[in-house]
Amino acid sequence: MDAIEASGLVKRFPARGDAAPVEAVAGIDLAVKEGEIFGFLGPNGAGKSTTVRVFTTLTKPTSGEARVAGLDIVRNAQAVRRIIGVALQEVGLDGRATGRELLELQAHLYGVGGGEPARRARELLDLVGLADAANRRIQTYSGGMKRRLDLASALVHKPRILFLDEPTSGLDPASRRTVWDEVRRLNDEDGITVFLTTQYLEEADELAQRVAIIDAGSIVAEGTPAELKGSIGADVVTITVPSEKIARAEKALAALKGVKEIRRHKHALTLFIADGSKAVAAVVRLLDEAKVQLDSITVASPTLDDVFLRATGHRIEGETAAVGVA
Amino acid sequence: MTATATELASAPPRASGAPEALRSAFYIGKREVRNVLRAPADFLPGLFIPVFFYFIQVGSLSKFATGFGLHNYKAFQLPIGLLFAASNGGSGLNMVMDIESGYFDKLLLTPVNRLALLIGAMGADLCRIFVQNTFVMVLALAAGLEFKTGIAGAAVLVIIASVWGLAYSAIGFGIALKTGSPAATQSAWVIFFPLIFLAPSFAPLNALSGWLRGAARANPVTYLLQGMRALSMEGWVAHDIFVGLIAIAAVGAFTLTLAFRGLLSRVR
Repeated sequence: MDAIEASGLVKRFPARGDAAPVEAVAGIDLAVKEGEIFGFLGPNGAGKSTTVRVFTTLTKPTSGEARVAGLDIVRNAQAVRRIIGVALQEVGLDGRATGRELLELQAHLYGVGGGEPARRARELLDLVGLADAANRRIQTYSGGMKRRLDLASALVHKPRILFLDEPTSGLDPASRRTVWDEVRRLNDEDGITVFLTTQYLEEADELAQRVAIIDAGSIVAEGTPAELKGSIGADVVTITVPSEKIARAEKALAALKGVKEIRRHKHALTLFIADGSKAVAAVVRLLDEAKVQLDSITVASPTLDDVFLRATGHRIEGETAAVGVA
Repeated sequence: MTATATELASAPPRASGAPEALRSAFYIGKREVRNVLRAPADFLPGLFIPVFFYFIQVGSLSKFATGFGLHNYKAFQLPIGLLFAASNGGSGLNMVMDIESGYFDKLLLTPVNRLALLIGAMGADLCRIFVQNTFVMVLALAAGLEFKTGIAGAAVLVIIASVWGLAYSAIGFGIALKTGSPAATQSAWVIFFPLIFLAPSFAPLNALSGWLRGAARANPVTYLLQGMRALSMEGWVAHDIFVGLIAIAAVGAFTLTLAFRGLLSRVR
């Protein structure tokens, strides 16, 4: 049995006022193995958070089925909640409470009794490095401290499956690294299955053993990061040229030997080509012959962003105005 | 060691049902009380305004009221002061702040019975209302109020006003849960004005005339006031007190339904 499984999962929001109806999740099928860190990668608005809200029983699916630890998320919602820990994208904390009080209340609400809530709160505050701030009101915490406390509150009942929705969004690099280390430790030492959504390629690459890439509510690629990058079967050559010359550059490079695919952006072209370093000279020559000024050229191994680009025609990060395919 | 998914799925659930829900409601309520105490600026106006109205009205209208045969206007006005204290419009604001901040989602992610979230918050609100009503009553007694049914009647009056406050507070909770909007929740206060001013608040019912008298007859607060004034001015008049309680029950049935429907819409 998989830790998390979904089949034909759809979440549709009805029209509101002038806004058209939205299909935030458009028929997702996925299976997350027990004990793995599963990355759910996609840009803002792709449907990641809605998927998490459905899996964690906060929102009911419009159609399709999903199971967490073998339990149907609609029919056994309360049982699912006992098993999972969740840190949502919006850090939802009670600013008037202290960190210690928040964790103790959370423990009580999970039915932890006796002196255990106080002990568990101390343990978790130590774990996330907030012991010194335990008795301070949360409204005085920094963004990074709130994130860590939110993570601690998701662990208070020792869940076996952890949902982390953009856990490092808005954090500085050092705090991001701290969260990554903690996620790895939870997975390695405690065997917790982690379902992690992110829009950061590096995060998915660093943490996830398998990744699903989502765009416009649908999964467009799935596999280990190495498999996904390997599926491109080519190097990625990116050139930037003046925007008014982009069409001419694209036409000139279409004849390039070994090119598998060209994606056009506003100021740049991305070429998927068998041996990128060898093709550089030919690229420069062809552009020169076409009288297109070359501003820059880079050759790189494929990234998950390239996988995303190939699958969707636009990038997760940076420029998203992809307009054509060669 | 890692538990298998099979083990997880078959893990026995913890105790559930009413005792567990009440236990959770207690902790939710305890947190609400703590938060109220940590933000005195939020509830101090709720103490000041009813006392202010009570003493202003008694001071300015006592002589005028003798024209209606009201010689104990302090006792006549006391229920109004208590209803002001019990219906001050702050109910549901903490909950809507939780909804806005995302903390309410955090609570919904726990296995707590959804009803416990509402019962806990309303229970804490009842405590706040009871304290405010007691404060008004103590000040009124200290200012020389002659109370017909004595200390026992005063205590019963505070309890009746607090139960009314609970019924009224359900409007705020219902709006908070349904809309998630602080402005809309705050507007629950507006409902109080027609309820209190289209009732024999400042003069007896038989002194009202025309449409105002008709409106007052249809207003449940009129019957609540009669029951409360029975305690403060006349004695243990069982019929009036009972009718007052029926009025609270009728309003409460409506407002609690509103709150439960709001909760259902929020957790769907």
